[in-house]
Amino acid sequence: MNVTRRGFIVGAGAAGLGLVGPLRLRANAPTAPVAIAKCPGYGPEFLSAADKLFDQLGGLGRLVNGKTVTIKINMTGEADMRLDHVSAGRTTWTHPRSVAAVVHLLDKAGARRIRVVEGAWAWAASLEEFMYLANWDAKLVLGAAPRVELVNTNLPYRGKKPYTRFPVANGGHLFPAFDLSTAYAESDVLVSMAKLKQHLTAGVTLSMKNCFGCSPTTIYGDKLPLDEPSPVPYGGRGEIGHAGSRQPPKSAPPEKDPKSPREAGYRIPRFVSDLVAANPVHLAIIDGVETITGAELPRDNYTLPVKPGVLLAGTNCVSTDAVAMAVMGFDPMADRGTAPFQKCDSTLKLAEELGVGTRDLKRIEVIGVPIEKARFRFLDHVGPQTPVE
Amino acid sequence: MRWTSGPLEIARRGKAEGFSPQIKATLERFHEPASLDILKNSPIDCLLLSWAAGLPEDAVQQKSAAPLVAAARQRNLSVVGWVEDKADPQAAIAAARSAGLAAVAIPNFKGQTDFPVIPWGDRAKTPWDAPGSILAVSGNVWPGVAMPGNGSSAGPTGAPWVDSNGWFVQMARARVSKPLWMMFDPPAKGRIFAAADYETAVCDAEITGGRWAISLDESVRAGLIEDNPAARGILDRVGATIRFFDQHPDWRTFRSLGVLGVISDFTGENFDMSGEILNLAARRNLQYRVIWKSQALAQPFTGLKALMYADKEAPEAALRKKMMAFAEQGGLVIAGPKWGPEGTPADPGFDTQFAVRTFGKGRLAVAKDELVDAFQVATDAQFLVSHSNDLVKVYNAASVGCTLVMGSPDGKRELVHVLAFASGWSSGARTVWVHKKYRGASLWSIGAAQPMRIEPVPADEYFGSECRIPAGVPGYFALEFEV
Repeated sequence: MNVTRRGFIVGAGAAGLGLVGPLRLRANAPTAPVAIAKCPGYGPEFLSAADKLFDQLGGLGRLVNGKTVTIKINMTGEADMRLDHVSAGRTTWTHPRSVAAVVHLLDKAGARRIRVVEGAWAWAASLEEFMYLANWDAKLVLGAAPRVELVNTNLPYRGKKPYTRFPVANGGHLFPAFDLSTAYAESDVLVSMAKLKQHLTAGVTLSMKNCFGCSPTTIYGDKLPLDEPSPVPYGGRGEIGHAGSRQPPKSAPPEKDPKSPREAGYRIPRFVSDLVAANPVHLAIIDGVETITGAELPRDNYTLPVKPGVLLAGTNCVSTDAVAMAVMGFDPMADRGTAPFQKCDSTLKLAEELGVGTRDLKRIEVIGVPIEKARFRFLDHVGPQTPVE
Repeated sequence: MRWTSGPLEIARRGKAEGFSPQIKATLERFHEPASLDILKNSPIDCLLLSWAAGLPEDAVQQKSAAPLVAAARQRNLSVVGWVEDKADPQAAIAAARSAGLAAVAIPNFKGQTDFPVIPWGDRAKTPWDAPGSILAVSGNVWPGVAMPGNGSSAGPTGAPWVDSNGWFVQMARARVSKPLWMMFDPPAKGRIFAAADYETAVCDAEITGGRWAISLDESVRAGLIEDNPAARGILDRVGATIRFFDQHPDWRTFRSLGVLGVISDFTGENFDMSGEILNLAARRNLQYRVIWKSQALAQPFTGLKALMYADKEAPEAALRKKMMAFAEQGGLVIAGPKWGPEGTPADPGFDTQFAVRTFGKGRLAVAKDELVDAFQVATDAQFLVSHSNDLVKVYNAASVGCTLVMGSPDGKRELVHVLAFASGWSSGARTVWVHKKYRGASLWSIGAAQPMRIEPVPADEYFGSECRIPAGVPGYFALEFEV
């Protein structure tokens, strides 16, 4: 299916393909254009670069006008962690000014309501409070448009229905369905706003892996009750997402096959591809303006701060991640055993098998700066212990 | 320095689990004048000698200590007799006078004497008003990251569980101006203590204006007697830490610039709740100011964003009126369930045990039920006060807790104490964010000949400024800012 540069493919269209085999789904996986821009910083240049990207994709209005838009940002890990002295927005997180810029553009495009969401790590209060803890000026985001809300999706959604069940399109690899914050169910358009990063366990963390944080740690986190969601989050996703040492509370659907490998490199890519098949991403934005190489969080001897100066956006998260991988100097068709997937499966391949989108660059139209001119080879900027082979 | 030695200590501890011939030998050696050689070149100038415990061995202890006391006096060391609560205070005083001691430390002493007495008591029943130029307090914890079993213990949110006495020292310093001796010993079992642990123990008391009466574990004491270099190194490090703070006597006059005022009479059940709130708020780096209820009417609430009143009894009318005026003018008052019905219900933004109401320009947060869980109260208080009112944040400092922001009495200098509580913590690059913009800062650390000049830089996308602490700076340091 070819898509013109002015036409949007809404990811939800990829989710309803019916029960067909993985190979056929992969061959027919939808595609959508991906736009690339050079962007040297997070000042006014970010706003103009993002505006131009969205225009190249056909304009935000067609996607968001009159809709409730949810932006899943990335504030992974603890608020007091930095790479050396560099703030997290310039290394591992979405930058606060970039979030404000996108909120502003969404409002300009007619979004009826804009929600900025994140599952703040082990955090029992509001996302606004987490932002202040992290030295973000939450008012910068809240003031970027008239109707902006901040939601910590690691807490039960306030109201009568804290969680909503999201079946995984085409059955899923690991889970048949997820219980996610009802904030996602109330959303018409989901934007995944990610950082361009490697990931020690999943190879890369881009617009899809960013959605790992959509799973509430009150249900998919650590130290949980057996029967019901925890009222507050207590930690990360080590037990269920990484190790598979236990099932979610009985209130949520269990894994399809509890005897499948209990290995993070097997589980996380499947968990993530299932999530994006269940809760489709309609707009993927990947911030490679400033970031780190080697890992997803600051780690001694692995990570270095870098400034690739690039911004990507697309309406298909698999295709956008595929182009982002190419910009990083990796082959998006790579499979387990080849960098960056030396010890894990490819989330892109698994999502492609679920019919979410294609990772085949031959089928993806790239708009704006060509890949080769945007390329920033991550493996040329590695710490002494970064795995490169 | 706590100087445990002699027949009294052997009698007291002889039947305890773990008592060994080596410990007995060390207690005997410490009773000999030659043991004082371990204090050569040390700033330690006072021995708290085991003196009376209400045991038959009291008399022989006092008699046998004479050579030690005489030798100490020759070395210009003061000797204070440590008296336990079952001893006869007057007999202990008489013996001390006769032996030439400088003073005796007696629990909850209420008698009359012209001999110098240092009153001491458990911190839950501190003899605040007892006469004496020094106050000693027992019942304290060994500062550090709590370590049940083999690993660091974590709180319910995964943060390290820091044990500190700083909250109590702050509370005491808000009440009395006399020197405060914090009495605590290394836990008898479970781990070996390194020089860094002892440094943390000294720092924890000093940064809030107290002083730890140094108490060494038995392996270090035995090592000192044998002139073991490792033990010597520990005592040297303790000495260096004491000297460091002695070089900054003005810091003892600094007071917390906290944004939350905690008002209580800190007595009985109220001490249990409000004291624990202070303890847990400190762990969360929630900057607070201790306000004794008896002083609350006279103290201005200047600079505070919030007040907390968690005592069982309602405050007197005048104090309540003053607190309501504080809320009306834009402040936040956090109180127990009996506070009253004023205000208009408002959404607190998170699940909390407090019903939040707007009142004038400010808010009231009134508990829906009796306050029973200090942890939850401190947690809720921090969210109610909001991290947007934080004064300081430390990055890449997982084991740091109880960071303090203090100001000089003239308002011209501000001080941030940063202390890593974990033993053996390696010091990578840390960043300290502070709420104001300053022209420059001096970074003081133990062992450095001169302070390091730090140029604060504007915070990235936030207000305030950041100080970049280079890798290699030890676990404790202080940043002194000129305002």
